[in-house]
Amino acid sequence: MSVGVNPPSILLADGNEQSRQMFGSFFAGRGWSYDVVPDSSSMAGALERGTYDIIIADVALSGPDSAKVLREILEKHPSQAIIAVSPNATYEDALTMFRSGATDLLARPIDFSWLERVVQQIVFSRRNDERERATYRFVTSERTEMRFSCADVVQVSSISLPLVGRLAQSGMLSHTEALKIRLAVQEAVLNGLEHGNLELDSQWKEEIGQDGSDKFSSVRKERLADPSYGDRYVYVTLQFSDGSLEITVRDEGKGFLNSKVFQANGKVDSLACSGRGLALMSSAVDEVRFGKNGSVVTMIKRLRERKSTEDYGS
Amino acid sequence: MEFPTKVIGDKAYIRVTSDLDTETAGEALRSAFNEVYEQGKRTIVLDLSGAQIINSYGIGKVLMCYKRLKAENGVLMVKPLDGFVKETFELLMLDKLLPIDDSNGQ
Repeated sequence: MSVGVNPPSILLADGNEQSRQMFGSFFAGRGWSYDVVPDSSSMAGALERGTYDIIIADVALSGPDSAKVLREILEKHPSQAIIAVSPNATYEDALTMFRSGATDLLARPIDFSWLERVVQQIVFSRRNDERERATYRFVTSERTEMRFSCADVVQVSSISLPLVGRLAQSGMLSHTEALKIRLAVQEAVLNGLEHGNLELDSQWKEEIGQDGSDKFSSVRKERLADPSYGDRYVYVTLQFSDGSLEITVRDEGKGFLNSKVFQANGKVDSLACSGRGLALMSSAVDEVRFGKNGSVVTMIKRLRERKSTEDYGS
Repeated sequence: MEFPTKVIGDKAYIRVTSDLDTETAGEALRSAFNEVYEQGKRTIVLDLSGAQIINSYGIGKVLMCYKRLKAENGVLMVKPLDGFVKETFELLMLDKLLPIDDSNGQ
């Protein structure tokens, strides 16, 4: 596996001088670029100044809690690859570090041939992503169309939107904005299924039986099995062009929009068992429009400027 | 999927260990809630630190718990929230409805 002309760049965070020298001579011998820091606070500082393909961090770094520092780094750089190094790679170490977002765990004594393979795999994948991002800056418009049966909507717990991912990677959406848009689409699709295609009444959520289950859930189950409702589809179209993303979600029902649950000012009654999905959709985008009594929902998000050319590949 | 529960004194704790955005997670919450509710607990604390994402479905389940407790003069509380879940609670004004439990329980 080749990582091309751009060698791996590594940040080594290790409190042990002898270990640092061992890693250093291994990296240098392969022509990899690297920086070394001795503790967790300088690890965070190094990430403020530069970017690295991989952080190799000892689990027992001195300074602030290294697992917490790694989590904070990942909040700012979600695609950062991290290899944790543990003296004995215990189950507890592994759990702590994977929960902090580590990509892999390396036990001491270090198996350098294994480390080399892992680094090459990570960097190979990152270079591919970088090439895709670099190419995407030439894309001026893109359209995706999706179709979900009622059964699909129930089975698919989260809808993947590659177009939204590409816009986030290009800097036109922040990662939080991308997450909110994914959830907004999920809400719109679920609304299309339940209130559109299955024609369920939100008020049924209030009718709770002795066992804690509600009428809404039981009728939902019945109608999913009834072809006259269950065979209807929800259609999602995403169109990126002219600096904005337009998402349209259309169902095949009679329309679910009810002005009582979603007031003109966008405020919701937090106790009502409906209207919250619409509020979440509104908070994710700049504009929400309803057509055909709610069976067509259009959401528009204005996009940021793209990253400048020199930001690609970093 | 099951969410662990624990009773300390008069309070019952439910630890939500996954995102609260699917039917499976919603059912796990309902089941954990029923377990402690049927034990007679009327102060129930949700620890949502294991959830990074919550959607309207998850919120609906949380409110169902709230309403059942309120009907019996009980109280539903949450452990301190952060990130997207906190933002969603604030957006939907649930932070005004569900008091924070900042004791060291659970």
